[in-house]
Amino acid sequence: MFIFNKSNICVLLISSFLVITDVMANDHYQIVSHPNVIETDITRNYLRAIFSMRLRTWQNGTSIRVFVLPDDHKLHAVFSKEKLNLFPYQLRQSWDRLVFSGTGQAPTTVSSSEEMLDRIMNTPGSIGYLETTYVNDNIHVLHIK
Amino acid sequence: MYSILNSQLFGTIPKRPMVITAFFLLCLLTQNLPAFAQETERDNNSQNIFATLGASTIANNIRENLRIQGFAGQSFIATSNNDVFGNTDEGGSFGFTEIGLNAIYRPLPKLQLSGQMLSRRAGEGNSGIPRLDFAFLDYRLYSQETNQFGIRFGRLKNPWGFYNDTRDVPFTRPSILLPQSIYFDRTRNVGLSSDSVQFYGETSHATWGDFSFQFGIARPIVDDRDTEVSLIPRAQGNLSPDVTILGRGLYESPNKRFRFAVSGIWFNADYKPGTADTLGPGAIQFSPIYVSAQYNTERWSLTSEYAIRKFRYKNFGDQMFDSQDFYGESFYFQGEYRFSHKWEALMRYDVLFTNRNDRDGSKYAALTGLPAYTRFAKDLTLGLRWNINTQIMARFEYHRINGTGWLSPLDNPNPFNLSKNWDLFAVQLSFRF
Repeated sequence: MFIFNKSNICVLLISSFLVITDVMANDHYQIVSHPNVIETDITRNYLRAIFSMRLRTWQNGTSIRVFVLPDDHKLHAVFSKEKLNLFPYQLRQSWDRLVFSGTGQAPTTVSSSEEMLDRIMNTPGSIGYLETTYVNDNIHVLHIK
Repeated sequence: MYSILNSQLFGTIPKRPMVITAFFLLCLLTQNLPAFAQETERDNNSQNIFATLGASTIANNIRENLRIQGFAGQSFIATSNNDVFGNTDEGGSFGFTEIGLNAIYRPLPKLQLSGQMLSRRAGEGNSGIPRLDFAFLDYRLYSQETNQFGIRFGRLKNPWGFYNDTRDVPFTRPSILLPQSIYFDRTRNVGLSSDSVQFYGETSHATWGDFSFQFGIARPIVDDRDTEVSLIPRAQGNLSPDVTILGRGLYESPNKRFRFAVSGIWFNADYKPGTADTLGPGAIQFSPIYVSAQYNTERWSLTSEYAIRKFRYKNFGDQMFDSQDFYGESFYFQGEYRFSHKWEALMRYDVLFTNRNDRDGSKYAALTGLPAYTRFAKDLTLGLRWNINTQIMARFEYHRINGTGWLSPLDNPNPFNLSKNWDLFAVQLSFRF
């Protein structure tokens, strides 16, 4: 019984570490959009549909414009795994399937966070992700419900 | 930006498909101008993005909503015996080339126009003459949260299996040659794309995952020689398409770890005899069912597909043909391992039985006098993929094959000259933009 309790405490401790690192990881970047996007809180499922390029319009009918960093960029990998629960290769495969069967478009790849900020600010309907240090008042931050 | 794109296009692609594509896009554009002028006007009112109307708004719309992509692949194939895409058994051949140019334009949020030109040079069956791979209009009838429903109209890729929709794009394939038991290259045009009307829908649930389907009524493309000779070995006449029905349902778990699909085709074609033909005006019915499954982790992708293919020949007025009513069977198991972003390895075992009631071909051999090994093929494949950068990829591949069941009769006209056990080595360099 004692051993059982001890292992329970271990599990608790380990999971609390996981939670803490998760919070820290979530802090250093944000999901961002152009200010004309009226959504503020979105579900993970909705976010996944957007980045899988299956959704074409926001709820008010305007086009969704998705921006991503290159496949091998660290922030892209972190965002894909943490927010979408997908690996970068899975995203690339589903985008390629859409594009080369003609059934959908791929997101626009930007080369740096500076370019991401610039494109998000200047493209109505845009969505992307940015390190928190780049976030300013000219863009919106989206939260996951 | 577009001048750069254009110079790239003209640099890598022969001019003729470019002209055809440009013409095609122009037609699509002019047909849809009124609708999309309306839309940009609405955008103007609500968002104040465009300062002027007319030509500059149209230019803006095109700049923001048109995407052009392309790819090219060149392979070198060498075989110990038997020919695959050219004369490959005497030192190898550079006979396999794939070039594609693709444009997707979304003038309105709900309307999408897509087109792809494809040039494929591969043995006697594919000369490299550019052909229209797909060109269609996609209208989304319903879109609410993560539920979608829409219609597609035009020449569409046939939705079956995991790979058919993008089978000519080297980057989307697991190997240089797709598992031939399922993705036959000799009758490829039948399965590839068809002039059709398709409905599609998808729904997504946070814990259950995504369900999607495509369903269509089509006129298949059967008028090429490779298909005719493969389906009717001594064809003097021509095949013409008849109404064909096809569809695919796909399930993906929320993190796409599990992917599972079932697809089916009910294919029909009629035979028009030649002038001194011994065959009558017969009909071919071909109805395969495909079951596909995949499991993905960060480093591994395990894939397997199974197909059972029903063939029925009737009214040819020839006992040999009209008695043909059989099931073909195919399956493969495939493992892909990602060492890093740059390197991936592949291992696959792929099996084809032309007739599942005569797996070793002995009954066929007894009946026709032709070699039994032309009725099956077992292919063990080892491969390596090197992503040199995001645009350039190199591949190396080795096949050990027992049987000649999927070889093209156009490249190998005499079945008695074939070798039962043979090796195939292939290298490919591909580029995309």
